[in-house]
Amino acid sequence: MLAKSEVGARPARLDRDRGLVEAAQRDPSRFDALYRKYLAQVYSYAYYELRDHHAAEDATERVFMQALAGLPRFEERVDEFIASRGVTATSGSASDMADISTFRVWLFRIARNVVANERRSDRRRLAAPLEDALGLSAPDDVAESVAAREAGSAAWRAVARLPEDRRRAVILRFVDEMGTAEIAAVLGRSEGAVRVLLHRALRSVAQDLRRQLS
Amino acid sequence: MLGGTPRDARRTERYLDGLMAADERRAAEIPVDTDIDPAICLATRQLRADLVRVHPSFRFEEALAARLAAGAARLQAGLPVRQPEATAAAGILAAFRGPGAAEAPSNVAAGQSAVAPAMGLSHSPAMSFRRLPDVAAHPRRPLIMGGVGVGVASAAISLGAVYVAWRHSHPTSGRMSRAVRAAHGRASHSGRRRSGVINEILGVVS
Repeated sequence: MLAKSEVGARPARLDRDRGLVEAAQRDPSRFDALYRKYLAQVYSYAYYELRDHHAAEDATERVFMQALAGLPRFEERVDEFIASRGVTATSGSASDMADISTFRVWLFRIARNVVANERRSDRRRLAAPLEDALGLSAPDDVAESVAAREAGSAAWRAVARLPEDRRRAVILRFVDEMGTAEIAAVLGRSEGAVRVLLHRALRSVAQDLRRQLS
Repeated sequence: MLGGTPRDARRTERYLDGLMAADERRAAEIPVDTDIDPAICLATRQLRADLVRVHPSFRFEEALAARLAAGAARLQAGLPVRQPEATAAAGILAAFRGPGAAEAPSNVAAGQSAVAPAMGLSHSPAMSFRRLPDVAAHPRRPLIMGGVGVGVASAAISLGAVYVAWRHSHPTSGRMSRAVRAAHGRASHSGRRRSGVINEILGVVS
């Protein structure tokens, strides 16, 4: 476990968005930089979860509006963040720490809540296909394109069948390219739990793909 | 190998990290742990290739940027980021431009309608942000609520009345119509006119 003195020794390196966040807290019109930086990530998360462009746009708007409204109260809670994740010096996660954004974690916690509310309030969107966004390959090779699309949709179908927590972890890992530590903070779990979650998710996807191919 | 133990999970994580790092440096070769299940490697590569990041439309991005800018301005003014629901439900004032647009009151501030507060309506802050013309600043023509429905119904009734009057003054001259009129002992205008002329002639003759 990292000692508190060690933690306190490098808070400046901890949040890569610190400069942007502080600027936006001083002048809310500077929030635009954070918005542009994280728009695609938040939108992608909402899109893969809700599978509908319009619903994803609504959710994205709500996320950023809530973030803007809550920005004056946002604090970079370094100590709590580390302690809640149970980081160990031997886990290799310490090197990750320089690349963690507590702002991104905070933003994705908002996104997780907004998307969960959206899914609860309207389940009709689940009928909309997502395959259009997947499996695009070189347009001149039709056979390869068709094969890639089929494989892509098969992979997505496998992900869509995963339980909610595993699916979220997969999306955060593959689409938003978060590390285990950040996913753990977003989902409110320990790193070990997220690691097992991802491993089981990939195992399920592998089995599903094998079944679909056979 | 297909167990869900922390050891297997750590192995999978290392493979995932290696895959992402290789993508970042555009390396073709990925270091693979020989103990890892090949099916998991395959699934990981498949997901890595297929779960791409999606970007919203440029139009949505800019529209939301404008709304956030308006929200930031409200926040700086000590107001909530979003307008209260009641005000938002009242909608944005969109008035017709009238001929007296040039005589619009000069005290109308840019981006703020003079009539809006009186009407209890709010002006879109996005307009001032985007420097769009404020249509609400111009005098409006009065609107009759439900005017379209009333107009259509009125026109239909008028047309019906005209048609009935025309049919009454222009009876059909077919055999069947004549027979019907004869049976009912009625004569048409033209018939009455003809019979009147004949009676006059007969009277003159007699």
